[in-house]
Amino acid sequence: MDAHHWQNLVVAVLVSGAVVAWLRARRSDLWRDAGRQVVKRRPLACSVVAFYSVLALADAVSWKSDDPDCAGLSQHKPRSVIDRAFRCDFQERSYSAPLADREFYGGNELTFPGLHPMGTDIRGRDVLHLALKGARIALLIGGFTSLIVIPLALFFGISAGYFGGRVDDAVFFVISVLSSIPGLLLLIALIMVLGHGALQVCIAMGITSWVGFSRVVRGETFKLRELEYVQAARALGVSEFKIIWRHIVPNLMHLVVITFVLLFSGLVLSEAILAWLGIGIDGSWGQMIDMARDELSRDPIIWWNLAAASIALFGLILAVNFVGDAVRDVLDPKTLREDA
Amino acid sequence: MRIRRVRLAWVAWIASSALLLSCSNNPYPGADDTVKVRYGALPSAPKTLDPAVTYSSLEHKITANVYETLLEYHYLKRPYTLMPGLAQAVPEARPLGDGRVAYRFDVRPGMLFQDDPCFELGEVGRRTREILASDFAFQLMRIGDPEIPSQVVQTFSKLDGFSQFRERLKQLRESEEGFAELRIDLQYRRAGPIEGIRVDGDTGLELVLSEVYPQLLYWFAMPFTAPVPWEAVVYYDGKEGRDFFRDHPVSSGPFKIAEYDRFFRIVMVRNENWYGVRHPEWKAPGTVYPSSGEPGDAAAGLLDPDYVGRSLPLLDRIEYRIEKESIPYFNKFLQGYYDAAGIIRESFDKVVQQGRLSSEMKARGMRLEKSVDPAISYLGFNMNDAVVGTPGGDKARKLRQAMSLAVDAEEYKRIFINGRGILAQTPIPPGLFGYDPDYRNPYRTPDLDAARKLLEEAGYTGGIDPETGEPLHLTFDIGDASTRTRVTYGFFIDAWAELGLDVELAATNYNQFREKVKKGSYQIFTWGWIADYPDPENFLFLLWGPMAQATSLGPNTANFDHPRFNELFLEMKDRPNDVRRIALIREMREILERERPWIELLHSESYALYHGWLKNLKPAGLSLPQAKYMDIDAGLRAAQRVEWNDPIVWPAWAVTGIGIAIVIPGILTFLRERQ
Repeated sequence: MDAHHWQNLVVAVLVSGAVVAWLRARRSDLWRDAGRQVVKRRPLACSVVAFYSVLALADAVSWKSDDPDCAGLSQHKPRSVIDRAFRCDFQERSYSAPLADREFYGGNELTFPGLHPMGTDIRGRDVLHLALKGARIALLIGGFTSLIVIPLALFFGISAGYFGGRVDDAVFFVISVLSSIPGLLLLIALIMVLGHGALQVCIAMGITSWVGFSRVVRGETFKLRELEYVQAARALGVSEFKIIWRHIVPNLMHLVVITFVLLFSGLVLSEAILAWLGIGIDGSWGQMIDMARDELSRDPIIWWNLAAASIALFGLILAVNFVGDAVRDVLDPKTLREDA
Repeated sequence: MRIRRVRLAWVAWIASSALLLSCSNNPYPGADDTVKVRYGALPSAPKTLDPAVTYSSLEHKITANVYETLLEYHYLKRPYTLMPGLAQAVPEARPLGDGRVAYRFDVRPGMLFQDDPCFELGEVGRRTREILASDFAFQLMRIGDPEIPSQVVQTFSKLDGFSQFRERLKQLRESEEGFAELRIDLQYRRAGPIEGIRVDGDTGLELVLSEVYPQLLYWFAMPFTAPVPWEAVVYYDGKEGRDFFRDHPVSSGPFKIAEYDRFFRIVMVRNENWYGVRHPEWKAPGTVYPSSGEPGDAAAGLLDPDYVGRSLPLLDRIEYRIEKESIPYFNKFLQGYYDAAGIIRESFDKVVQQGRLSSEMKARGMRLEKSVDPAISYLGFNMNDAVVGTPGGDKARKLRQAMSLAVDAEEYKRIFINGRGILAQTPIPPGLFGYDPDYRNPYRTPDLDAARKLLEEAGYTGGIDPETGEPLHLTFDIGDASTRTRVTYGFFIDAWAELGLDVELAATNYNQFREKVKKGSYQIFTWGWIADYPDPENFLFLLWGPMAQATSLGPNTANFDHPRFNELFLEMKDRPNDVRRIALIREMREILERERPWIELLHSESYALYHGWLKNLKPAGLSLPQAKYMDIDAGLRAAQRVEWNDPIVWPAWAVTGIGIAIVIPGILTFLRERQ
């Protein structure tokens, strides 16, 4: 199977998983009400996040086909749904301003005059196309890294909080060591070791981002393990693993959801910083912003590349933050009480 | 009491406003306005000023003006021409009969180093001493010292006994107790002599080479071989508050270091002991402004009768400031605080329009000088690779030819480097013997149809690898992972994609890239080369088999090893610039044209932008001691700085006015209400 087949398979699994999770959540009063509340509180933000998710999925699903516009390598490469929204040869030779009919420098006539709503970049690529494709990278960074962070944080946090003693000492030692290393330096060092690909960057960010959440989980687990029903389960001889799985983890899920949403925007922004340092992911908004470092100091200025990436990044982060706040308001028992 | 406070606040407000408004942005003292000071900037401090070690053009900006050499290049003539410096004449090769050859330099007598306390080591109270032939021999021994990381060791290993001296010195240091603690000149004396370096009295220096190597003379026009007094190396050891020698050159050149602050500025002043200053009556070629140059120099004002024949140096002082960022540097240049600047990419379109200086810049009295660098940038193939290299046979050759035809260097130049540079057809840049301006490499004119046909002949129809049924996958390694570089080199990926080739850009940091090159695990790479000296040998050796990276860690990164090319190179490298040499170069060119180990891109072009008050600047791709020929019209500079930096005060007054109108009445109302 080709790489794009695997990618399509992963997308199918993810979508199926999301559907199953949604169906299961509907059966639970807590999650169903929480979902409704979140959508009710932040309808626009939820729509924006959904829009970005659709964009990301549309760019993740790709297939090969005989397209008359495609020549050379592009006729053998799979094209995503987003790619198919644009012509295969929808490229100029260099910079052009939004909706321009001539190149920005040199004044050569464009192949597709007036058809680039956000202009083109230094290699003549359509900036709107690049900005839309950036959504997949952003969601990949936020989503995949969170999938690394959350299990790590849960494992270490629950182990330390539930077992206490030497396990707690050991976990806390690891947490303290990682906390004492400047995060950005550790991240750069890990990327240097692991390499520059999207997967490697996500792993590096995952390794450096779990500590804070782990502390929260540890504290919460300390509290949970002393509750009567946990004590009762222990007195009845239920195994430790079962207690954790049946009684501790479900009671931490609201924290997981809140953390996931809040972590997400931080991770997407972190990639932009990494791109600024020259170690970001190809095709990300961070990379587009990094290119703007040169473009903004040009005379005359090239602004559209930065504008497109910034608006796309801003839109996603703002929407996710709003949704995150709503999720916290709905799921956090403290805020629930305050609301009541 | 409160009213007094309010009055005090008023006075403080007005005083600070007046102080701010009277500030100037001039970073230099006013006294400099009447002195001939050349102001420049460096992006970082030199790592070292030890002439045996310095190699970068940045370091040579200092060392070329501080260290005088036996020979030097004519300031104006192109192709570059050697002329005597500290030597009385440019020596001729004297064959010794057994394949060896000798050069004899006669050093001018009566020349002095700059005044420096280090010379007290030789004699109490002595502040300077004569420059002797033994000082050149000492410096050559320093190049051979295994503890000094000189990059030109290989070059001088052609001197009889040079490598043996290096080995002996190493062994003595390892085996003999206390040897390494001996004074450095005594260590060299014990490990020496070097048979190929013969000192004859105070002024005679004879060098014997084991093989013919006419390019040797060029190395004596570079700071590597400048005279170094042993006293300086011993005295400046970094102990008891003394500098290290690498930070404290003892000058033999027209300027000497007056201040060396690695983080702020480097100041050089006239060296009163320089032979041009002490003996103007000699009219030595390197001490007077030249009377001839290349065509166009007179029109460019470089042969102004006011300067021709004048004793050098013309400047009193040179001041380099450290400017890490190019944009502030360029802005200060526009304000008149630097005399010259390269043109930053970001402002290129404002400064240069249709290849000429823009009218805006012309109106400010600026000038633009262009010169093609003796340099080349290229894309290379690893010729040891099974797919793109020699093992791939005719199939791989056709693949390389097709890939070469797909790369449009003219477009690359236009989009990414502001059109600066001329298209390279062979490795030899303009200005060097063997460069043929009329030659057009048939594989360097983009032709996608021909490229597709070649690919088909190679068995990769439409770029498809018949073994996999997928587009042929190749890797293009670059040693810089920054976004800009990745986007820039994506240009070539796009070009090859048009042929249907799937070339992956592997961007790593430079060290990782070097490691890949060392291991030979690369297919396509990019590199460049700047001439050490103006000879075709210095470019063609980059493709000489014995210099292959894989076998000798040499600079032949393409690992090109073509028996006929190697044979031709051996004959060409030591020949004088004659008809036979041209014929050899042409045959080598034909081999490169056919075999395509490189896709030649560009010979870069330097644009020097400078103010009208800076006289006699001629850009050079080689590190020449340019500063001694330059002059400054300090009066014009001072006047234009004042004109261009007239402070815009209305915003400050406006802010002050708003402050008075809003803040003060507010305070007064507050105080009144409290009363």
